[in-house]
Amino acid sequence: MAILRRSLLLLVLTLYTSFAAGPFVWAAMMSLRTTTEIHRNHFAFPNPAHWEKFPDAWFNSNYGIYFVNSLQVVVAAVVILTLIGAMAAHCLARYRFRLNRVIYFILFSTIIFPPQITIISLFQILVQYGLYNSKVGLTLVYVAIQLPLTIYILESFFARIPADLFDAARMDGYSDWEIFWRVALPIALPAVATTVILNFILLWNEFLYAVVLITDESNRTLPLGIQRFIGDTQEDVGMIATGLMIAIIPVIVVYAFFSEKLIQGMTAGAVK
Amino acid sequence: MPSSQAGVAHDDGLRKPWGTIVAFLLPALTLYVGFTAYPAIRTLWNSFHRVLPRREEFIGLANYADLARDDIFWRAVRNTILWACTSPLIEVSVALLLALALYAKVPGARFFRVAWFTPVLMSYIVVGILWLWIYNNDWGPVNVAMRALGLGAWTRPWLGDPKTALPALIFVTSWMWVGFNMVVLLAALHSLPKEVLEAAELDNCGWGAKLVFVILPLVRATLLNLIVLSFIGKMKIFDLVWITTKGNPLWATETVSTYVYKRAFEWTTFDLGYASTVAAVWFVIVLATVLTLTWAFRQREKLEY
Repeated sequence: MAILRRSLLLLVLTLYTSFAAGPFVWAAMMSLRTTTEIHRNHFAFPNPAHWEKFPDAWFNSNYGIYFVNSLQVVVAAVVILTLIGAMAAHCLARYRFRLNRVIYFILFSTIIFPPQITIISLFQILVQYGLYNSKVGLTLVYVAIQLPLTIYILESFFARIPADLFDAARMDGYSDWEIFWRVALPIALPAVATTVILNFILLWNEFLYAVVLITDESNRTLPLGIQRFIGDTQEDVGMIATGLMIAIIPVIVVYAFFSEKLIQGMTAGAVK
Repeated sequence: MPSSQAGVAHDDGLRKPWGTIVAFLLPALTLYVGFTAYPAIRTLWNSFHRVLPRREEFIGLANYADLARDDIFWRAVRNTILWACTSPLIEVSVALLLALALYAKVPGARFFRVAWFTPVLMSYIVVGILWLWIYNNDWGPVNVAMRALGLGAWTRPWLGDPKTALPALIFVTSWMWVGFNMVVLLAALHSLPKEVLEAAELDNCGWGAKLVFVILPLVRATLLNLIVLSFIGKMKIFDLVWITTKGNPLWATETVSTYVYKRAFEWTTFDLGYASTVAAVWFVIVLATVLTLTWAFRQREKLEY
């Protein structure tokens, strides 16, 4: 009886797994098949596997450009975010001053803002300052939208570092900056890694701000490129699948190596 | 919630290194003011104006009056709220069942956990295209499976039918987020005090009773947190709709976010003012509901304990 129950449970879990992961396996299969093959049978294994579709998408359908753009914008944004987010979080966690909690509260409450409240004006502002349709403009906007969550996660970690440590560092003649850079930051490395991974994934997938602020083909990020591609070639299922895989693969690679860290990052905001 | 004063109460108020404080905060605050606070205020300002490419004119509350009579807007509000109210319940309840299944020490639990979490790592763009195919009328797996089971009469273009388009998209978001909720709940379950559960077992408490009387009350805070989080997410939803239906058919899947985008950048009115009004009203609604929800959940907490 117990064995029966157990195997029933396992069956349900396996079924749910194929439901959750099936679509990706299907897309991966299609990414290695030509559209003609796909339309003959939508659910067959790639035989033979058309690996040449990947260089084809990369060079001939501009996915290479989109990929590099995404990488540039996301890496720049994450580096800036981590640095200035950690500085602000350290400051809010360590120094007691009159406006501390006011600033913290204002930043924190921004997390629930719907993006529409800023996006129309951001469009106007970036046009005014010549940052519209540029990767620099998009990078700055990305930093701004992820800043509150980053500071929130880091502040709660910095606040738990015992103050004695800082006093000791001060006795040793460390300056305020050295205390941040050489004491607080190294201790907070796990939390910093969490925010880096979280921001990387969220920004890699970001679409709304990109679609409003970028129009040039040469500046498109991957999500925009994919949208553009399906707009142009609705029917070319095989090639769209290859494009999807190009967008998915970096995430899967990161996930394969850092699955626990990634799960931790994504859920950091949820567990209180 | 923020652990506020614990670590802060260190520097005695005698010596405040204002220079250092400003230097640490300045970069973040500059970006915040320039790219979040100022745009938000400017949107509110816009909402009282007609904002054309080269000129602005003050029109008072005219936009708000128009909005009150805008049927598409109210349709979008209804769709979004329906989405934001159903999704969290589906996600959290399915996630709880799955988390309990894994909590019962199944072989391969780690693998299941990692596999189920995958959808949430993908962008809505990728997910949207996958589900466009899954719902495809001619060769999508849903209709293929239904034909194979002899339910051919029930097949339809799921995203093209005004009756099924919105539920079909709600289903997609649930598919995407169940794993995430499951992982958070599983962590909450694992942090439960073992003694309480053992005590319940000693009292000959069955699984159902244990769930309702012991486990649920203990993970209540996490459940409510997840519900609020999912609710906020769905109030903002844009990408998935944009890549799949763009609000069609017949505004069946129009959400407030897609409507704002359309009014600002797609309709040829070239007026950013009206779209700003929609955004401003929606901003107030989201803020108010989230605060009310948080407050209501807090109140119940107080009553119970």
